[in-house]
Amino acid sequence: MLSAGILLTACGPLGLRRQPAAPLGLGAETREQPALSGDGRLLASLVERGGRTTVLLQDRRSGQVLPLRHLRRQQPHSSPSLSWTGRYLAVLVQQGPHRQAVIEDRASGRLQPLFLPAGREPQRLSLAPDGRRLAVELLDNGQRRVELFDLSALLEPDLAPGQLQSGGGPGVAP
Amino acid sequence: MSRRRCWPLLALPLLALPLLLSGCFGGNLRPLPGLNQRLAQLGASHDPQLSGRWLVLIAGRQGRQQVQLLDLERGLPVPLPGLNRADSQPISVAVDQQGERLVVVRQRDDRTELVLHRRSLMASEAIPIEPAGIPRGINLSADGRLLAVEVSRGGLWQVDLLQLP
Repeated sequence: MLSAGILLTACGPLGLRRQPAAPLGLGAETREQPALSGDGRLLASLVERGGRTTVLLQDRRSGQVLPLRHLRRQQPHSSPSLSWTGRYLAVLVQQGPHRQAVIEDRASGRLQPLFLPAGREPQRLSLAPDGRRLAVELLDNGQRRVELFDLSALLEPDLAPGQLQSGGGPGVAP
Repeated sequence: MSRRRCWPLLALPLLALPLLLSGCFGGNLRPLPGLNQRLAQLGASHDPQLSGRWLVLIAGRQGRQQVQLLDLERGLPVPLPGLNRADSQPISVAVDQQGERLVVVRQRDDRTELVLHRRSLMASEAIPIEPAGIPRGINLSADGRLLAVEVSRGGLWQVDLLQLP
């Protein structure tokens, strides 16, 4: 049974408030590679399902598991990353002998495979909260290297309330 | 036309279907050449995280890895005084959308520590892991107030959520 996350302790040296990730009610199980939506409402993480590493999307407060239409296969999954509201979930899936970057659009129900230049194997992803850019850690001739890609022609922006569609959006230098 | 002769004609559209579908729904990723050239100048790099106009990652040459923060609108790395230390090796890093708060997991001597760095203060402070555990992956909400940490405890990976002040 799913239940809400519980606030464990009040204050530490930094004034921290700790909260365990919303439990699944399945006892102690391993959970890796957490990713929050930009607004902090959703949490994606990797869990073991039937011996296969699978991405799980949850409402952070209630623990409710949210359906992912296309991501029940092609395990192992790795490196989940969410947009601002969690509309988009970027993740690496296994496609034969290779890793493939995909984005599930939870609003339209579509799966968007993302094709990298040939010969480059993705290791890790980070989707910008507005969905306009993707950072990919690639393995290229045995060396890890981060490259940036433009998604603006592929995805509608997932904007924070009040965020302008044109211009730089949030992130004014302090 | 005999049934046997029809087979290739019937099979062709079926074989082409996955290609057609990938063409319709897939997308070739369009690189950002100016920013990628800037990233290449940093040497080997890993563990990227995007937030707002910022890209934070770990990069360096000849084993000397540092946290690097790039302002993507200016295409320039931003100095991080008080964060990178000669006696520590960063493992993972996250940034908020203002580029003000950076959270870093780093190896120092034989310890793995989690620190919060405020750029405007040029100061870092340790975030305690309770119950004790070894942190690895991190992720920060856009406002920099909620931190998700992957922690190893007793052979099990868990996820802690911390509300930062």
